[in-house]
Amino acid sequence: MMKAKDTWAQNKSIFSYEEGKLHSFSKESNYETSHKVYQDGIVGIHYHIGKVDDEEGYRKAEENLVRQRPYPFTLETGTRARDKREKVLPDAELRKLADGCMQYLRETYPRFRFQAKFTGTEYDRRTENDLGMDYRTQDYAVGVSVSYKHEDSKNIADGYFDFNMRTFEEAVFRQMADDYLAKHEVKAELPEDLIFNMKYYSMTGYLANLLNAEELARGTSLLTGKIGEKLFADDFTLTHVVSDQEAWFNPFWDGDGCVLPNDELVLIENGVIKTGFADKKTAKQYGVPHTGPAYHDFSDIPGPGGLSVQVKRSEKTVKELLGGRPCVVPVNFTSSGFNEKGEMTLVIQHSLLYDGEKIVGSLPEFKVAANIFDVFGKDFIGVGSDRPIYYDKSLLFHVNKVS
Amino acid sequence: MEYNFRFPKDLYADVRIEESESLWLGMENGELKNDGESAEIGAMVRVFDGNLWYTATTNSLEEIQGQLDALAQMATPNPKIADERIVKEFEVHQEERFLYSGENDLRKVSRAKWKEIMDGYVEKCADPEDPDVSFWFCGVSGRHLIKRFYSSKGAKIAWDRQQCNLNFFYGFTVNGVTNYGGKGYTTMTVPELLGHEAEILEKKAQYLDYAKNAVDITPGDYECVLAPFVTAMFTHESFGHKSEADFMLNDKTLREEWVMGKKVGSEKVSICDMGDLPNHGYVPYDDEGTKAGKIYLMKDGILTGRLHDANSASIMGEAKTGNARAQDYHFQPIVRMTNTYMEAGKDNPEDMIAGVKDGIYVVDVNNGTGNSTFVMNPSLCYRIRDGKICEPVRVHMITGSVFQTLFDIEGVGTDFELFDTYNCGKMGQGVNVSAGGPSIHVKRLAFN
Repeated sequence: MMKAKDTWAQNKSIFSYEEGKLHSFSKESNYETSHKVYQDGIVGIHYHIGKVDDEEGYRKAEENLVRQRPYPFTLETGTRARDKREKVLPDAELRKLADGCMQYLRETYPRFRFQAKFTGTEYDRRTENDLGMDYRTQDYAVGVSVSYKHEDSKNIADGYFDFNMRTFEEAVFRQMADDYLAKHEVKAELPEDLIFNMKYYSMTGYLANLLNAEELARGTSLLTGKIGEKLFADDFTLTHVVSDQEAWFNPFWDGDGCVLPNDELVLIENGVIKTGFADKKTAKQYGVPHTGPAYHDFSDIPGPGGLSVQVKRSEKTVKELLGGRPCVVPVNFTSSGFNEKGEMTLVIQHSLLYDGEKIVGSLPEFKVAANIFDVFGKDFIGVGSDRPIYYDKSLLFHVNKVS
Repeated sequence: MEYNFRFPKDLYADVRIEESESLWLGMENGELKNDGESAEIGAMVRVFDGNLWYTATTNSLEEIQGQLDALAQMATPNPKIADERIVKEFEVHQEERFLYSGENDLRKVSRAKWKEIMDGYVEKCADPEDPDVSFWFCGVSGRHLIKRFYSSKGAKIAWDRQQCNLNFFYGFTVNGVTNYGGKGYTTMTVPELLGHEAEILEKKAQYLDYAKNAVDITPGDYECVLAPFVTAMFTHESFGHKSEADFMLNDKTLREEWVMGKKVGSEKVSICDMGDLPNHGYVPYDDEGTKAGKIYLMKDGILTGRLHDANSASIMGEAKTGNARAQDYHFQPIVRMTNTYMEAGKDNPEDMIAGVKDGIYVVDVNNGTGNSTFVMNPSLCYRIRDGKICEPVRVHMITGSVFQTLFDIEGVGTDFELFDTYNCGKMGQGVNVSAGGPSIHVKRLAFN
């Protein structure tokens, strides 16, 4: 019988502001444990929220062998510790920074009401097994989220901005606040040629899931039978990368305990679909290559998932990619989500016009339609080398206005 | 089990303890895909000194007293804490209300029985030879929760809730495009999960027809009839969120917009929130210890009430409603809906459809959001021509103005239903809610 143990610990300090004023201070301490025992191709699992001693954890996992959850694979081995923490802030220091930021908002933008959270999160994730595997990753970031409403608005909220930072810089906060708020009351006109500047995670997440080997094998993915075909733009490359510095609180090993060469798996390269992704079980079940990643499951056996995908960045900045054209920064919007054909509609209730250097003004409400194949195909402009507006990657692409 | 805490002097404090047990099973295309369980105990401890709230969470009950003491050390003692506006509002109740401690306690149902229920649905609703079905999933799950609330004012409350879920979904692949559809149930007890095979197979047939025959809608404004499931979401998104008082505190513009007694919709429309209905949004006492009741948010088109926590009620000088809810012990309570519904009207649903010359019948919806423009993403719509339901139409999104659409309701049906499958997200917290309503006839909504 072999044994393995997963642990996840996350401690948070949260300063919450309501109507611009400090309302509460919260301390959270979270710990989860998964004990697993492997015998004759079966795994018994005990998942516990909170701390539990190993003897009891493994005993309960052994009792759960009766459930006959199959796992006929050899456990992985290897050791590696990754520490992404830069500067862990004591609570008093975090509060001082948060108070400073909120004071800036109140004094600079007195016609707005604010709700905000400043959260310091320290994360520690570890997996060990009897073969000597010992993988551990640690991270710390300050997360900021601000919701705002203009005093004359009839909306519940007009907009929202957020970002994470490992070493907090108030200048970044001020720049973001200025970008979102300074021109809120200035009316701008919607350009004819509509270019969107968005964080891309919802769209890349949808696209990457179309490459789930299980969906590909069943024929339920829009990309079934398309491996090797060029369906996207020449300069569009999509990669699962676990060492992305703009990914937060993520392990570098997957739910099967596997580590990718160079921490990455190229899914689409220069517009050509290179591979689907499969965990060990899916690879065996459908006779496809095992590529990883597998999602981490503390209570059951893993499956395909746990992706952290990024679009290869252009060497050009956002401004250079725009080439003098303005773009739209959606602020308050709702998406239909992608439908069965990979199409979606977005209603943009509040957005900003950006000329590549500065925000020009606020745009009226409008709707657009997009298609996943066009967003990363004929409408794809690129992901800038820099990170204006969002302090994160921004995707530029053309969209079509609809009535 | 009862706990006794030493509450700090000259401070307000409360402790919310949650004990839950969950299990889940899922079968996908004949393979047992999910098989898990969890048990969780956690608590949120809060201390208030009249200026700031100090909170902590823990998974160890032994640590609660220590957390109380530690938070009290951070706070500033306030001999007049009892006179603080919000502290005066907090109610003091002492009650144990356990609805699910007897034979209907899902924890007494064996794992084998749960599997038998799932296998029964698989046998009757999944056909491995069905050429139209490329994917199917059947899942069952259950969760039992006990909540306990103690406060330094003397509140001692304990109550329980539980939920049982059944989901059966299909994927139909036609010309390389896969449409998913099916039916989900949330019930309060395990026996209520039984006997839904015919409804599931009927829904399967509807979604298969949609997969084979749906045509893209021409975007534009349409007259429409919303089925009860869709009215339920419309009620929640278009009006329910506007009734949550926390967004209008000290906000002159919104308080003037949503003044009591104002006509905000058709006189055919009345909307309620009722926390002590034993449904998915059941909250007999909220997470501040306030007892829930029934409140009319809109009566015959007139704004008559709104949802409050102790803070918003005290600021606005209105009665508390028991709507301070937290997702779980990790979160502080905020103003949320519970069981929210539009009351039945007097119109015959079939007559409403028959009265539409050219429009859309919206049967199912996936999700929605509510701001001044509300949005719903439907999953099953049909064209209505000359009062007859015709071909299925593919619609991405339905939108409308909150301020206009409530006036555009021309018919309210007699076919009221309350649905327990909804969940609501707000400010990063998801809570169970029920939503309900009858069929309604709306003069105009935008379809894309």
